[in-house]
This record gives sequence, C-alpha cells and structure tokens, in this order.
Amino acid sequence: MPIEITMPRLSDTMEEGTLLHWYKKVGDVISSGDVLADIETDKATMELQSFDDGIFSKIIVQEGEKVEIGKVIALITEEDESPAQEVSETEPVQEVSETEPAPTKQDYEQGMTISPIARRLADEYKIDVHNIQGSGPSGRIIKRDILQVVDTTKETSSAAATTKPEEIIQPLVSEPEVVATSHSIVSIAPWRENRSEPLSNMRQIIAKKLVESKQTIPHYQVTMSFDMDPLLEIRATLNKQLVSSGVKLSVNDFLVRCCALAMAEHPAFNASFGGDCIYYHGPVNVGVAIAIPEERGGGLVVGTIRDADQKSLRAISQESARLSNKAKEKGLSMEEMSDSTFTISNLGMFGVEHFTAIINPPNSAILAVGAAVEKPVVRSGELVVGHELSATLSLDHRVIDGAMAARYLKTLKDLIENPASLLV
Amino acid sequence: MSERIIEFREALCEAMSEEMRTDQKVFLLGEEVAQYNGAYKISKGMLDEFGPRRVIDTPISESGFSGMAIGAAMRGLRPIVEFMSWSFSLVAADPILNNAAKMLYMSGGQFGCPIVFRGNDGAGGQLGSTHSWCIESLYANVPGLKMAIPYDAYDAKGLLKTAIRDDNPVFFLESERLLSITGHVPEEDYTVPFGQALIRRQGADCTIISFGRPLYFCQEAAIELAKEGIDCEIIDGRTIRPLDIETMVTSVKKTNACVVVDQSWSFASIGSEVASQIHRYCFDDLDNFVHRVHSDDVPTPYASNLEQAYLPNTRKICEAVRGATYNT
Amino acid sequence: MDKLDTELKKTCIDSRHLQLEKAPLPESGILIGWLRQMLLIREFEVRTMQAYQNRLIGGFCHVYIGQEAVAVGSIASLNLDDPIVLAYRCHGHALVRGMDPKYCMAEMFGRIGGCAKGKGGSMHMFDAPHHLYGGHGIVGAQTPLGTGLAFATKYEDEVLEDGKSSHVTLCYLGDGALNQGAFYEAMNLAGLFNLPVIFVLENNRYSMGTSIERGTTMANELHTKSDAHGIEHAIVDGKDVLSLYQSFKSIVDWCRTESRPFFVEAQTYRYKGHSMSDPRKYRTQEEEAREDEVDCIARLEKFLCQEHDVTPDGIKQLTRQVKTQVREAVEWAKESPETPMEELYKDVYVDHWGPFTGTSKPQMMQDEPQ
Repeated sequence: MPIEITMPRLSDTMEEGTLLHWYKKVGDVISSGDVLADIETDKATMELQSFDDGIFSKIIVQEGEKVEIGKVIALITEEDESPAQEVSETEPVQEVSETEPAPTKQDYEQGMTISPIARRLADEYKIDVHNIQGSGPSGRIIKRDILQVVDTTKETSSAAATTKPEEIIQPLVSEPEVVATSHSIVSIAPWRENRSEPLSNMRQIIAKKLVESKQTIPHYQVTMSFDMDPLLEIRATLNKQLVSSGVKLSVNDFLVRCCALAMAEHPAFNASFGGDCIYYHGPVNVGVAIAIPEERGGGLVVGTIRDADQKSLRAISQESARLSNKAKEKGLSMEEMSDSTFTISNLGMFGVEHFTAIINPPNSAILAVGAAVEKPVVRSGELVVGHELSATLSLDHRVIDGAMAARYLKTLKDLIENPASLLV
Repeated sequence: MSERIIEFREALCEAMSEEMRTDQKVFLLGEEVAQYNGAYKISKGMLDEFGPRRVIDTPISESGFSGMAIGAAMRGLRPIVEFMSWSFSLVAADPILNNAAKMLYMSGGQFGCPIVFRGNDGAGGQLGSTHSWCIESLYANVPGLKMAIPYDAYDAKGLLKTAIRDDNPVFFLESERLLSITGHVPEEDYTVPFGQALIRRQGADCTIISFGRPLYFCQEAAIELAKEGIDCEIIDGRTIRPLDIETMVTSVKKTNACVVVDQSWSFASIGSEVASQIHRYCFDDLDNFVHRVHSDDVPTPYASNLEQAYLPNTRKICEAVRGATYNT
Repeated sequence: MDKLDTELKKTCIDSRHLQLEKAPLPESGILIGWLRQMLLIREFEVRTMQAYQNRLIGGFCHVYIGQEAVAVGSIASLNLDDPIVLAYRCHGHALVRGMDPKYCMAEMFGRIGGCAKGKGGSMHMFDAPHHLYGGHGIVGAQTPLGTGLAFATKYEDEVLEDGKSSHVTLCYLGDGALNQGAFYEAMNLAGLFNLPVIFVLENNRYSMGTSIERGTTMANELHTKSDAHGIEHAIVDGKDVLSLYQSFKSIVDWCRTESRPFFVEAQTYRYKGHSMSDPRKYRTQEEEAREDEVDCIARLEKFLCQEHDVTPDGIKQLTRQVKTQVREAVEWAKESPETPMEELYKDVYVDHWGPFTGTSKPQMMQDEPQ
C-alpha cells in the first residue's frame, strides 16, 4: 500500500499551499526527516519533510501548482512494494455556515408609547389606551396613568410571595415608618422654583402642527362684526322649545351651521392647497376647537362635526356637546379628530372680544369668534344698545384672496343676521 | 439574644482565625499581614496565634506571591491571599485570572484551586486614581471564579467563611471605608451562603439593587425619598458571582421600577449586567427602563469635593429613583 | 565522542559556590530505559507534527524534538511524588513522567479520552497521579506556580506532618521566560522562603524567532541570573543525557536535604521550529546541521553500543516497539470520541450552580491505578 503524501497544514490559518519546488525525483530513496519540497503557505515558505522511509514513487502535484490542504501530492512506496496504482482523493470537509434569519422590524404606532406594565394593566382592566394622555416623557403612558383611570390604590409590601426566606436585618440608620402610598397626584412644585415639564404627546403635536402651519401658509386676517340680536332672540325661543328634549343651542352651534352653509357659495373655503392645485373637498366637515382643562393635561383638540351643512342645528348642537365632553373626559378618537375642512375657534365664553387664530392644516381658513358683547350700536341711523360679535377669519392666501374672504363674510353676515334662513 | 457588637475588620479577622483553627491547610499571606498586624489591622494578633509558617509576610510581589499561592492551592492547601488593595491585583491579573480561575477546566477536572483573594476595593479615601479601583466589573466577566462583597460585619464574617470553605477561587471585596463600622456578630459559628441576596429594606415603589459600600448611600437615599412619598426596596446582592437574580426579579415584579447602584464605572459593568438581566426577566413588568448609578466615568480624582461628587452618592441615587418612578 | 568523554570524566558540577560531586550512572537496564523514553518522545513528536498537518490537531503545537535528553535526564533524578510544572512544550515531560501516549495524543486531538478531556490542548498536559502540574501557555507564568508547589510540599512536610521538607519541585522554563518579571518574583520568593524548587532553564537559544543575544542581557551567562537572588546555579549539557543526569541527581539530592532553590541551565537545541507555523528562517542550515551532529539520541545509542553491549539490532527492535506504541496511541486517539457537549459547562466550578455542572475526572485517572 503506497504512502500518500498530502498537502500539509503548515500554519494554523493555512487553507491551501503552492508547491514551489520538488527536491526529490521519482525513484529516489527517502528517509524520515528528508526534505521533499518547498511549499508556499499564507505566511511563509516552509519545508515539507517526510515522516516515513521508502522510495519516492509518484509526483501528483507539479511545481507551481496550488492545492488545498489534505490533497494527495505525491506517493512513497515502502521498500518491499511495487509502485503506486490508484490515488484516493481526500476531500477537505466543507464548513457549512448558517446565516441567522434577519430580525423582523417591529411596527410602532405613530407617536404613542406605553410602558410594558402599563400595557399589561390596560389589558387587565380593559382600558382603551388611545383615550389616555400619557404623563411620561414624550407622552408615554405609564402605570400611574392607567391606575388613575382605574382609580385604585396600590398595596405595599406583601405583594408577591418570595421563594426564599426573607430576613430583614436592622439597618444601621433609623428611618420613619413605611406608609402605604396611593398613586394619585404628582406633587405640585412650590412656586418660585424653576422647573421644566416635558411636553405631553398632545403639546408636541400641537407645537409641530402649528409651527408648520405658520411657516408654510401665508396667513392674513379679515375681521367683521355681526349684529347678534336676531340670532340671540331666535336662540332663546328655540331653547325654550327644546328644554324637554335636553338640547341647548349655543351661539357656536349657530355659527357652525352658518359657516357650513356659506361653503355652498364659497367652495374655496372648503378646500386645501394641493401644491400645484386647489383641492376642493366634497363633504363640509367643520372642526370646533375644544380646550382641555389643565387638570386633564391642558392643550386643545379639534373635534370634527361631519357634514355640518347637512345637519340640523339640533344635531350640530348634540354632536358639539358630545365631542366637547368626551374630549375633556376621555379624549377623542382619531376619527373624531380628523377630516375637518374648516375650523371655528370660539373664545367668546371667556369674554374675549377679538383674536386671531392659526389655520389648522390642511384647512384653508379658520374663524376666530369673540363674545357677543352688549354695546352701543347704530341701527337704522339710531344709536341703540345691541349685541355685536366680532369674528376674524385667518386665511391661506394661496387659496383665498381678500375679495373672496370679504364675500364669504358677507354671506356669513347675511346668514347670521337673518337666522330664520338657517331653518331651511 | 444579647448583641455582640464588633468592627467589620474584627469580623474578618475572626472568620480567618476560626477557619485556620479548624483546618490546618488554611494559611494567610500578603504584605504586612504578620509582623505589622495588617496594613489595615485586619490580621491583628494572628501572627502571635498561628506563627510565621501560617501568617506570612510577603515581599511586594503580587504577581509572584499570587502565583505561588495558586501553586500551593493546586496541591490542596487553602491559601488566603491579602492584597493591600485590589488596585494592586492588576499586576497579578495573569495568575489570578489565567491560572486560578481556569485551572480546573484546563486540567480537565484534575486540579482545583481552593484559594481566596481578598482586599480593599473602592474609592472614597482620597487615595487617588491608581489606589481607588473597583475591580468587580473587570474580573466578574471571567467564568471559574466567584466574587463576594459584604455589606456589614455580620456578612463580612459569614461570607468570608464561606469563601474559605469554598473549593473554587473566590475574589473577596472589602472596603476600606467600612472597616471601622460596627455591627452585631453572633458568637457561634455561622456562614452566609453565596448566591443569596438580602432585602435590606422593604418598599413598594422602586427596587434599588446594590453591592457593598454603596448600600449605605442607598439607605440614606431611601430615607430622603420616603419624605417625598417614594417608598424604596433595597436589595443587597451580597455576591456578584453567583448572582441571585431571582430575588431581584421578584422585587421588580412587585415595584415595577428598578435602579442599580454600582460603585464601578458604568461601561461594561456589574450595573450593566444586572440591568440587562432585569430587562430580560422583567420586560413586561417594568414601568420604565432600569436606571443605573455609577461612579462618574473618569479616573478617581484626589480633591475631596470632586471625589464625593464622583461616587455613586445619595444625591445621584435619589435622582435615579425619581427618574425611574416618573417623579422628576 | 570526545566531548562526551570529557564531560563524563568530570566529577564535579560547575556550580557557583558548591562543591557537588556528580552522581554515578545507574545500571544499563535503566540507561536502556532512557533510550526508549527518548525514542518514544521523538517518535511521538514526529507523529504529532504529522497529525497537525493532517488537521487532527489544531491551535498551537510545540514539539520537543532535539531536547529529549533534558526531560529524561532530569526527571530520572526525581522521586515519583516530586511535583513537576512546565511551560507549553510539554509532551516530552508528560510521557517521561508516565502518561500513556494515547491520553497525550487524544488530548491534542480534542477528544474525551485526553488527559484534560480535550479541554486543554497541546499546551496543557496535566497528570495528577504522576504529579504533573501542567502545561502552561503564558510564558513564565509557571515559575511562581513552581515556587508555590515547593511551598506546598514544604508546608505539608513541616507544618502539617511536623517533619522535615523532603520533596523537590522541578520547574521548567525556556530562555524566553528569563525576560518575564514573574520569573524574578518567583526566584525572589523561593530564595527568601528557602523553598526546594529547581528552576530548569531549557536554553535552546531561541525565543520563537529571537535569538538569545537579541532578547536577553548576559546571554552567554544566563545561569548567573540567579546570583541576584542568592540562588545556586549550574550549567549542564542538555544534549548529553548521561552527564545531565549525574549533575541533576546531585543537585536534586542537595535541594532535598538543604531545602533550598537551585537554578540549572541546560544548554540544548530544538531541531524544529518554535511551533508548527515557524519556517525557521532565523537560523542557518549550517547551524542546524552542526547541532544535528550531536543529537542526544544518537549519542546515547553510541554510548550504549560501546559501553553496554547493546547492538544496532537491539536498537532497531526498540525503535520498532516505540513506533508501534505510538501508532497504537494515534489510532486510539482517533477512535476516542469527540468531547461531548455536556463537558462545555463542566469543570468550571467544583459545585453545581447556575448553568455549571460540577466536575469529573478524565478517563486517564479512572483507567490507571492511583
């Protein structure tokens, strides 16, 4: 059986070698230790020495050839044997490397974060987290927020049973007795102390939207005063009739209907700037700005009264009230807060006479409504006491020109000062 | 049971002496441990009792005498090697990590290394940056060694006895700042097991996990936070390897908030390890990510005001707990 | 042969202050045993190289070819329970100490049958029953361990058993270790504490590719380095097992009685590279040829034929026996199963905790009577 000389591994990183030069030729007598060849490795040129005695009988790999380690390169026959016949190929073992599957990317809901324990508690208590404003950083919903909703007090100590015996060794420092705490209000910082409060989710959104609005939309304002007496009178009459049904019409409800109806003649007010076009919306959805009380986190949201031009005063009123209450208690859903095409912001209930508002993108206009003030007015050339209301439109000049604005306000005036027309 | 109040250093001395009395194979070596009675007077009186063959003064030669002790341990003796400071162990890192920790494995189970390395670990005495090392985060990474870090006199004695009786190499971390604190230590023989953390203070709002000297800062922080209505649970890990993560996890599942206080620097530290394990086992129970308190990521300064600010002090712990519990 | 004669005729050891007479040679049976040991080492190391090139052995591999006389002659002067500790060129010493070559080969193959269950490798030969304390990879790291082993035997003999120190530890190191601080600390402690450890410097004149003159001060007087620690030193011819044994025996006996350390420089040569990937370009072919002429095995063979009625046929028979033994060892190692996965977490700690599964002894210790 001939002895196979294989390409040796001459360094720990060597994968293949080049046979540079054979020192022996076929027929030479070989002793253990004789140098057979020079082999070039990845690191250096090394000598190949024979481990066995015999006769060099066959060269398989020629000078200059490069082969993988383990491959047979020559044969030696032992002294009492005939020269080589078959050569067996030894295949070096292939390494199979497995690639790990790439991790899948998680989907996150835009703008909403919630801590793991809060999520768990919300599931446990079946609370819809969409209605919660988180008090954690960036509006993160945290355990306290859920528990506030649930309105339970957490118990201290004993909670989970431990598997190990609990030894409590007296601490070296004395301490007051441990009290059970409830997760209620954050301690209010004493005044005169500098402090910073991280933005709630809502404030972040407000900040972003309004900066965007002011930076991208060329705002201008147009103001008009309206004689409110006819409207106030009809309102009082209607409210008396509606007492039994629990509906109470507000001035704002009338204004919502007026603004909505006015859109028919002035479609630009129900449009959005589309970059290279004006996009006219089909439905007339009037957004009403609702202020959230400080205790609930503050800020404002815009609730949408959909198809305001199709709804009766009564329906508008009910919807408006519903949105306002829900916003202040639980918070509005995404659907309730989106798709408005025109917005009304009313500070009249606070006594504000006049102010300007920032357009709520992608609207093209917003009506800032003040209080109906009792003041001396001129009617038919005579000085009388009447109720006047000042309202200011803020407009996107890319969509609505000054003249268009003036005409809209004229239409609005006609509707407001002739409120009977609202009934049809 | 009446209280027997002794110092932390006396507790260490008792542990070593009692073990040396019962097992002749135990002996102590290190710089100044014999005639000087110990650089920090921990081995006071031991030379008189056990003689110079068993309480041995070494030259300043940490690498050499650590290796020598390890060779002796391979034969079955049970040396206790005192480093005057764990800061000096760095020159002996090769023998203590490559030989002691790996001997059993490399020899295929033939030779163990029942050795204890002990010394002062940590900063606070204005000793400067080269003498103020907290080596736990460097060495705890290595499998094959155990690591213990006592909080008070009771644990000092109990843990050191366990370390001496343990057949594996044990790194025992004392603190020069704690040597004089006193506590109750029972007369009778007792040990404190490895791998069993202790709840030092029960609480509901936030779990604070720590080891060794920083626990005292944690206790102070807990008192202060209690005034703000934040109730802290403090867990003393006691041993770093093995780590009793179960006790810590049980606590965090209860409080939903966790702060880890580790006196070493923060990068790749015990704090990162514990925090990582808490995140892993308590992922669905956490209200906030695990907050960590470490010494500042700078070499230890000498100036007293800088050093005190640098340590994982009460102020930092309070801030971290407030952060973890959304009370900032 | 002249050099051999001169060496043999010397009756004293070249030592610093001591007048130590060389020990007499043992009888021929033992000397033939030494020849067999040296042949075994050589054949074993040749097949180790072959196995490495055939990818059966991985990582670092350092063979002892050319230096056999040092291991054989020095270990022959010890008692069976004297501790030995080595650097990483350790196969030869392990075989001489009594490790069956099959466990040694299996260890390098990374099999469960290996002396360290395949978890140590070529550099980490351990043999507890034969008092072999490793096989250590970090240069010089074994020297404090040697001091420690001597400390331990002295402690056991004198403190635990109330007797007199009666063991000697042999701590082998290469010329490269002379540049490591740990060695000087080890010598200082040994000298200070009067520990019976003999530091055996196997000076083969090269640390990897760096010749001794390029790396060490006093390169031609290495043995005098122990003067700095007040430790006795001697030089012996590492290529001549006979005179080496005679010197070593006296030195070992002296250390055993006096419980003092010693530093012996054995001048030798390794024929192969530092390790398997070394092309030896830092030495000339002339130098290698010259060293080859004074091969320790050839010298002993010549001596035995001349002085002890050993025939060339007898030597051939011995050679064949050794070749067979090594071949069988290689086959056994190939058959030995791969170290199983459960060994991964074993022997990390003595006890079971966490993922760690305690410790168990290798097959070598279970097979052989203790």
